[in-house]
Amino acid sequence: MKIARDASHASGAPSSRGQAKLARFSLFWRLLSQNLMAMVGLGVVILLAVVALLGPVLSPHDPYAQDLAVRLMPPNMSYWFGTDELGRDIFSRVLHGARITLSIVVLVAVIAAPFGLILGCVSGYRGGWFDLAIMRITDIFLAFPRLILALAFVAALGPGIENAVIAIALTSWPVYARVARAETLLVRSANYVSAARLQGASSWRVIRRYVIPMCVNSMVVRVTLDMAGIILTAAGLGFLGLGAKPPSPEWGAMIANGRQYLFDQWWLATMPGLAILFVSLGFNLLGDGLRDAFDPRG
Amino acid sequence: MLSLKFVGQTLVIAAVFLGPVNCWSATPTNILVMAKSLDDLITLDPAEAFEFSGTEIIGNLYDRLFEANRVGPGEPTPSLAQSWSVSEDGRSYEFLLKEGPVFENGRPVSAFDVVFSLRRSVILNKTPSFILSQLGFTKQNVGARVRAIDARRFVLETDRDYAPSLVMNILSSAMTSIVDREVVLAHEQDGDLGHEWLRSHSAGSGPFRLHRWNVGEYVMLEANHEYPNASTKIERFVIRDIREPATQRLMLIRGDIDIARDLGPDQIAALAEEPGIATWSAPQARIFYMALNQKNPILALTQVQLAIRYSIDYQNIVRHLLPGRAEVHQAFLPKGFIGALKETPFVLDTARARRLLIEAGHGKGFSIKADVRSDPLALQIAQAIQASLAEAGIVMDLQPGDGKQVLTKYRARRHDVYLGYWGPDYLDPHSNAAAFARNVNNANDAVDKTLAWRNSWEIPDITRRTDEATLVRDPSDRAEAYRKLQRSLQTNSPFIILFQERALFAMRKEVTGLEVGLTADQIRYERVSK
Repeated sequence: MKIARDASHASGAPSSRGQAKLARFSLFWRLLSQNLMAMVGLGVVILLAVVALLGPVLSPHDPYAQDLAVRLMPPNMSYWFGTDELGRDIFSRVLHGARITLSIVVLVAVIAAPFGLILGCVSGYRGGWFDLAIMRITDIFLAFPRLILALAFVAALGPGIENAVIAIALTSWPVYARVARAETLLVRSANYVSAARLQGASSWRVIRRYVIPMCVNSMVVRVTLDMAGIILTAAGLGFLGLGAKPPSPEWGAMIANGRQYLFDQWWLATMPGLAILFVSLGFNLLGDGLRDAFDPRG
Repeated sequence: MLSLKFVGQTLVIAAVFLGPVNCWSATPTNILVMAKSLDDLITLDPAEAFEFSGTEIIGNLYDRLFEANRVGPGEPTPSLAQSWSVSEDGRSYEFLLKEGPVFENGRPVSAFDVVFSLRRSVILNKTPSFILSQLGFTKQNVGARVRAIDARRFVLETDRDYAPSLVMNILSSAMTSIVDREVVLAHEQDGDLGHEWLRSHSAGSGPFRLHRWNVGEYVMLEANHEYPNASTKIERFVIRDIREPATQRLMLIRGDIDIARDLGPDQIAALAEEPGIATWSAPQARIFYMALNQKNPILALTQVQLAIRYSIDYQNIVRHLLPGRAEVHQAFLPKGFIGALKETPFVLDTARARRLLIEAGHGKGFSIKADVRSDPLALQIAQAIQASLAEAGIVMDLQPGDGKQVLTKYRARRHDVYLGYWGPDYLDPHSNAAAFARNVNNANDAVDKTLAWRNSWEIPDITRRTDEATLVRDPSDRAEAYRKLQRSLQTNSPFIILFQERALFAMRKEVTGLEVGLTADQIRYERVSK
């Protein structure tokens, strides 16, 4: 028995599914952890998650508490990032804003990615008129710049965080559908898929068990790389007054408020701007690293 | 083609990034350049214009029969009119015109032009036409009721014996500007009384004439040196349509413009240390107010209304957010108007507000939605009010929107709370009284959709008192009638008046002579020089 296992190990063939998964993950982690930039990105994303979770505990002031007497204070010992036009602590607001940003990002990912994934896989697997119709619909969506389309949706739905999430999700799914379809076209005529079909597996089962798992990797990479775009779109909507409503400390809205003070009180717009930069960069670096790790040939 | 504006913005951006390279660029001495957002400018026809930018420019292109007294409240001063008399029954006015005023082509202003202009405003029936037609004029009868006697005399017959001050004040509003009948009729198309042409041309007797209006870029006015009392050495007055206050500020510092009109209090404060630049402010008739829709049963309770009045930190908002930009004012007539009420009985008193809410049966508080225009200053005020209301237990959910969106909702009576500005349409107390204290028919399909109507405030008694005040002929009795109305609305109405605005100006130090009255049509360029 012992000899056999060793033999199997030596030949590289895993003896169970679990082991195969573990082996794959360890290879993936080795590749990822060698990539310094990706680890920086991962660190930023983890930091965002921690701040979003613990923001209320970490923030030194109430992000909504106004004190007109200390408005527009430059960064100092008690207000690390300074105060805004209503005397609110910008540091606390940036921390609280992390939660809003993270929830937008997660919600969009949870809504748009599975929807795009399933639609793309079905479309690629079935082909024919269904494929044609879906792809033309994605063409229509992709023809518009993303922010403009999101703007149109929010204008129709009414301003607010929930509607901003819906609008961004509506503009994100076509990309995922395209990616999933491309991957599906590669695997749909593979031998193992044909084998499953010959054994009598239904289309849905084939898609679910044999096609979707093959698409997940590129999907994860794509979604991670998109996170920065989602954050920027959300901030853009907030900046234009169509995202979060005041007094919500959404980063884009904070920049919009700080815009008029840029010459004299730079910190109003700069601090949330840096937060957006930092987090977007983190997601991008992580996405790049994930892509390299999932597909070492690329 | 590169637009001037684009070049300007590029230069500004370049200037910011290149730092203090010396590219001083003063404007020529005989041209004055003012930067102002002209985003509301849609027409320059006096019978149609109802916007701040439009009426301001019209005020400088045309003369009216009377001109508002820029020094203090009270009777307007005659401008084109020399004298007037009113008949025994108080319904018939006879006016004598001054001899001498001429239109921009040199033709003397006659009573025929005056009669044509007044009739034209009524017949065209554009947005501001109600100002004149409320004296009882209709398309059908204006021909008979406004008529010329000879070249210098004309008669105006009203339907009731209104207070003469009301009639004079109406005849000082921008919509009664006198246009050149011959020139306007020469450009008539399909019986439009020259409306299409006059939207982008001028035919007046004012201190300036319109040289060119490039939409989105600039309006250029040319001085009329024949104009009496014009002391300006300026040949051209250019209003550049620059919408970003930060850009205006940079251009002012660099000397690209002489006057900046849209700077906020914080930017004005920052300019104080800048050499060569003077900043000042002047009172305006515009007020900032909060309106509570009476369709909401909670907001209809008197104690709740009072509680809200006591939950606003008027003084601190003005001191910190609006220094030089506004003052606390709590009655619907702005200071400078006949009968304006200066009492400000309300201050922040959260404990009292809480007691009032308990009395009203809402001790646990409640939540309401407030619509507000998403301009930076209004949003700041709204957020400050939101915070102090929260202390009293009232959760106010802010719904910012663009001006059109917010107003559409307000006019459809679909709001809970509306926060916004109100500027009188003409310089008579009736202008604001008719808006705040008059609601003839509270039905959804009413014709008169006043502010009281918008908030579904049914007030037969107050409406009657407002109408009666227009008939009080003695000036001091009339002022007292309005003071009484204001006192009653101050404590018991869906309107919470917060501030009276001031306009902020930043100019190069060498510029003098810009005259500013309470309303946009009283901002005059004719004595500007540098």
